[in-house]
Amino acid sequence: MKRLLLCTAALGLMAIAPTVRAQTAPAPANAAARWEKTVPVIASGDWTGARLPDGQPDVGGFWSNTISNHSNFTDPQAGPPGEPSAAAKLPRDQRAPSRVSDPADGQIPYLPAARALQEDFAKNFPNPVKPRYIEPLARCAPAGVPKSFMWHGYEVRQYTGYVVFLFDSGTRVIKLDGSPHLPPQIKLWNGDSRGHWEGNTLVVDVTNNNGKALFGRYGDFMSENAKVAERFVFDPAGQRFNYIATFTDPTVYTRPWTATIPARRFTAADTPDGWHFDVKPVNQPGRPLRYEHAERICAENNGPFGGGAVGVPSEEAVISR
Amino acid sequence: MASNTLKPLGAALLLAALAWPVPSPAETVPAPATAPAPIPRTAEGKPDFSGIWQVLGEAEYDLEPHTGRRDAPPGPGVVVSGTIPYRPEALAQRQRNFEVRGKDDPRLKCFVLGVPRGIYYQAPFQIFQRPADLTLVHQFGNQVRTIRTDGSLHPEEQHQELWLGDSRGRWDGDTLVVDVTDFNEETWLDRAGNYHSEELHVIERWTLIDANTIDYRATLDDPKVYTKPWTINVLLHRRRDKGFQLIEDYCYTLDYAPFYPHKEGK
Repeated sequence: MKRLLLCTAALGLMAIAPTVRAQTAPAPANAAARWEKTVPVIASGDWTGARLPDGQPDVGGFWSNTISNHSNFTDPQAGPPGEPSAAAKLPRDQRAPSRVSDPADGQIPYLPAARALQEDFAKNFPNPVKPRYIEPLARCAPAGVPKSFMWHGYEVRQYTGYVVFLFDSGTRVIKLDGSPHLPPQIKLWNGDSRGHWEGNTLVVDVTNNNGKALFGRYGDFMSENAKVAERFVFDPAGQRFNYIATFTDPTVYTRPWTATIPARRFTAADTPDGWHFDVKPVNQPGRPLRYEHAERICAENNGPFGGGAVGVPSEEAVISR
Repeated sequence: MASNTLKPLGAALLLAALAWPVPSPAETVPAPATAPAPIPRTAEGKPDFSGIWQVLGEAEYDLEPHTGRRDAPPGPGVVVSGTIPYRPEALAQRQRNFEVRGKDDPRLKCFVLGVPRGIYYQAPFQIFQRPADLTLVHQFGNQVRTIRTDGSLHPEEQHQELWLGDSRGRWDGDTLVVDVTDFNEETWLDRAGNYHSEELHVIERWTLIDANTIDYRATLDDPKVYTKPWTINVLLHRRRDKGFQLIEDYCYTLDYAPFYPHKEGK
């Protein structure tokens, strides 16, 4: 698609509704209903739903997070730095809780130097005078771990030995074969994932992280020394899951901490909205309505957006191979 | 000079080795059904393309026959008819592309390579197959393509001008036939400036000729650029290196990656 995609579009607006992409998708009838304020409790346990031929729980399909985009990691519905949402004026308990579920105070337990880097990014985010203050997702970098689970809706496809996540900005291939990770010298936006199923829970070990994707617009981050232990806990009906990830990185945090990001399934019963469920009807006359996602493109169409962000477009060659 | 030192047999072997990765197109026609090699099949009995595949050969450098040059090894060409049947004005454009290939090839920005270039670009891609679709995850850049095999049609919405086109597949015996339409004109076909317009229409034919080899054909039609349809033919080989996996290569991030996390950069 040649039209400008605007990978992150105009900052805080994106928390509520897409801007440019709305040209091809009807705006939701009730934008407020797009986000929930609570995180459901889903217990780990047996899987009683449908299975694939290789025994995996069948969780394929379209999914999206239920509380907010990545503007604000620890106060998800308060908006990005410098652009507080309307809800930010409400008492804290009237917004969704922090994605940090441990420690109990909802804050990432940074070492002092790491906290200073995060705060420096947040302070400069509204007026990015240096390239380091532009969120990498605005330049179409893969959203990585865990931001991919807070950005647009995504698709899960399963195969014997694999779970594949198709995000709008990158793809994660999770191998279930117990093979060793890539050599540690290799650092990747999405890291290197090995997973297995424990009942209703997909357990994934992520190494080889490059630490570059950041978690959101407040600059929360891990380093290339981080290891992430993910648990995707699916409810018995297969309509929800909680993404629960524990981050261990002694060079950035004082102790391991855990994030929880709730998600729900989107089906043909939902109305496409260009964000959670950015799909088009399958052209198959005479058959029940189904939806499919068009190709996922970003760097090819990206351009500078409102606010005069610098350094986003690249006209120069980036490789010589 | 080197050839003077080669004994005839050595020279013949060298020539054979050079020619081997891309036999002349006529030689890669699937063998007649004398003793077909066993191929992997899905539970439904269809050929199973699951796995990691990669081309061997020089197609990415130049689809047409060419001698070696500074930025390309020699290659016998992979165009079944020998050369691409350009319209005269399009041939002139291809020549202009060739002259600026060192800076204008979209691959240099790590953009999506398109169809069919992504297939014979020299990087692995992984096919994930279900009855209703095949998903092609390419290592290079952010290229993910879905080939629907669920009987659905191209979208009613025309002129989306997709980078990868819209792919709808069907089975012709053991060959997967894919109709790909609705492209933009942003991608090139190789490093030599061969190109197409937004009127490109591609028909691919994917055939497993043994467990580890795919005969891949792509017929390109584009009345704005070519006088008639023409066909590319390459072999794709299964990557069988022990423990081999795709390693993400989001190379369009290379310029700005040094700024993260929270760094001054280069």
